[in-house]
Amino acid sequence: MTLGTRAVTHGYDDGAVFEDVSLTAGSGEVVAIIGPSGVGKTTLLRLLALFEPPTEGEVTVDGTDAWTLGEDDRLALRRRIGVVFQEASLFDGSVARNVEYGLRVRRSWRERVRDELRTLANRSALPDAVTDALDVVGMADDVHKHADDLSGGEAQRVAFARALAYDPDYLLLDEPTSDLDPRNTAVIEDAVTAAADRGIGVVVATHDMHQAQRVADRVAVLLDDSVIEMGPADRVFEAPHDERAKKFIEGELVY
Amino acid sequence: MSIQRRELLAALGTGATAALAGCSGVLGNEGGDPGVAGETLTLTTTTSTYDTGLLDALNKPFQEMYGVTVDAVAQGTGQALETARNGDSDVVMVHARSLEDEFMREGYGVNRRDLMFNDFVIVGPESDPAGIEGMGSAADAFAAIADAEAQFVSRGDNSGTHTKELIVWEEAGAEPGGNWYQETGQGMGEVLNIANEQGGYTLSDRGTYLSQRSDIELTILVQGPIEGGPELLANPYGILAVNPAVHDNVNYDLAMAYIGYVTSPQGQQVIEDYTSNGEQLFFPRALTEDPDFEQYVPDGWSAESEE
Amino acid sequence: MKGVGSHAVLVVLADALGALPLRPLLTVFPDVAGPLFVDFPFETQYVTSIVYVSLYVSVLAVTISTLVSIPIALVVGFSDFPGKRLVTAVINTGMGFPSVVVGLLVLFAVSNQGPLGELNLVFTKEAMIMSQFVLATPPITGISLAAVTSVRADVRDAAFALGGTRTDVALTVVKEARYGIATAVLAGFGRAISEVGSVLIVGGNIAGAGGVSKTRTLTTAIQLEARQGRYGTAMVLGALLVALVLVVNAVVVRLGDGGTLR
Repeated sequence: MTLGTRAVTHGYDDGAVFEDVSLTAGSGEVVAIIGPSGVGKTTLLRLLALFEPPTEGEVTVDGTDAWTLGEDDRLALRRRIGVVFQEASLFDGSVARNVEYGLRVRRSWRERVRDELRTLANRSALPDAVTDALDVVGMADDVHKHADDLSGGEAQRVAFARALAYDPDYLLLDEPTSDLDPRNTAVIEDAVTAAADRGIGVVVATHDMHQAQRVADRVAVLLDDSVIEMGPADRVFEAPHDERAKKFIEGELVY
Repeated sequence: MSIQRRELLAALGTGATAALAGCSGVLGNEGGDPGVAGETLTLTTTTSTYDTGLLDALNKPFQEMYGVTVDAVAQGTGQALETARNGDSDVVMVHARSLEDEFMREGYGVNRRDLMFNDFVIVGPESDPAGIEGMGSAADAFAAIADAEAQFVSRGDNSGTHTKELIVWEEAGAEPGGNWYQETGQGMGEVLNIANEQGGYTLSDRGTYLSQRSDIELTILVQGPIEGGPELLANPYGILAVNPAVHDNVNYDLAMAYIGYVTSPQGQQVIEDYTSNGEQLFFPRALTEDPDFEQYVPDGWSAESEE
Repeated sequence: MKGVGSHAVLVVLADALGALPLRPLLTVFPDVAGPLFVDFPFETQYVTSIVYVSLYVSVLAVTISTLVSIPIALVVGFSDFPGKRLVTAVINTGMGFPSVVVGLLVLFAVSNQGPLGELNLVFTKEAMIMSQFVLATPPITGISLAAVTSVRADVRDAAFALGGTRTDVALTVVKEARYGIATAVLAGFGRAISEVGSVLIVGGNIAGAGGVSKTRTLTTAIQLEARQGRYGTAMVLGALLVALVLVVNAVVVRLGDGGTLR
């Protein structure tokens, strides 16, 4: 199973963000997209998350171009993908309510109404998937806390659990730890590895080279409007083929 | 039980229900309730009539007698007639003969009856700057006010009172206008308050003046015909049914029943007995031994004059 | 929007008002108001029937209006369609539209002469609901529009990305914007219950001879008293109206909080 792009060009009125980008992530592997800020990592991830169709090219899930399908089929594909943004973007509610969102929207309307009534009557129990996902990020004890009462790191961990709870095949993370302290960063990175171990295909966009080194199996370097370098993490970091990639990596790795 | 027997019982049950339904209300009533029971009569009238509270006293016996509801809508003369023209009311009770006549001539009103009367009075400050106190002619009083350019507050709203006021100005040969003449577009109670505060004159129906007398310092300077004043200040009320030929949705039966009631000895007695602050407000006029043909037709109408 | 202070005040007020026994209070009214300098000649039944009509008409109108306004706000806020600018202009103009003109328009429509004449709606509570619906919808839509468009785009994106349908995203947005929407509803309710001119024109201010209101609201009752120069009585009814508005505000805020202070 793979999620990826094939020769994708995408841009807005003022020009292309990137051109001719092809990359894939398979089950159980972690692909890191690295590059400077503003180069288009977020745009690329949004395409992978099936937010909007690319200007040119294909976004494929298991080989099928997602944008040749009908709305319902594409929704089904979207539901196999989990997304974590740079800001946690939690909903105004409890941790439990946030994490079970993905599970909730996948149920039928009748079931949802019954669930709400049960919650109002205080006769509902948390689905196991919610507690399991929270365990992965170490937030299981905070299940009834309100989103506003969480620190930045805790919120991001909850956001991770939220994307994990419905057992997606793919996980997309956009600079997930850029605002976090080292401890929370470590929790997230461990969670990424745990997800990959479960067989989830993970794509992480990051500008942190060390992070990419720690978690990625393969790396794509997005620079100057295209992917100028792609390959196994070790090889890309130690011996990049492209001169610009080399310069970029070396520049970043100074720290 | 077998299917056939069930179906037979069901059929019998339906038939019985249908028969009973036919008996009770749909086709007609066998003795007992009059055919209008449960219906609503929409009556539009003027604010001054409504504000005296007469209608509550007058309508209660009628409602009980027929088992109906009377919705009295206080709108002001012009609006009351306009609502009737649109077919949104069934019967109209107003006190502006010229407008009633117009209503009849246009074909909207039928079966006009004289209902009752009271009168207007000219009120003003005790200081009486225009010197009209005790005058026997309303027109002369208005002329004096115009000459003195004394403060005068007008309803200015096409109401029965306003219509009368304009007639008196015409009789007086004066065109009211200028700083001393205020058209307020308000109800009688409010106009009395304004005149009170400004120490001005106004024309008021006796009923409203009496009910507010304790709160204001205006006095009656020119009496109405009830107390011996000029006939010009008479305030007769008429009641008309809306023509069902023009608006087939109006409740003509009930309207006629209502007119019948208010012009009956019982209704007229209620009107005569009605008092506010211990004073009688209205004088019944519907019952006369001698014929009163003029109440049925527009003022001055005659078969010959129509040619 | 989530200021703890203002919510605390309203919660306390709601509790206090809820503890007041309202019915006995009304019967006390004549006795209390009497010696206090105003003449309050009304029976309890008259006053409660007026309050009932006021609430019935306004609550129904605002409820229907909210059900219509929120989808409109979502569509206008988040999608593009030809005529979007026109719709937005209509909403904004509608907020300041003279209410008495609305009354006239509704009267023309429901009058026997008008297109809806067959329905016999003149001088009924239903016609009043129609006119208040027209008046309340622009503020409810406009303020809801501001509330839903101020929901952070990344939260909306999250609702979508995690597998929500457009409906799911809409529901999430509404939930996120619920305080703003509550403000919108209260604004619409305020406009509706304070209405005088239009409900007078379409309703006729009718009260039965027994003193039970058919289409008389607190506002038109006040107008009736004022027209007769009875300003004292009018003021007492006015105080009752203000109290009613405060109670409704408190109740809505309380519901929005789910009973807990945030």
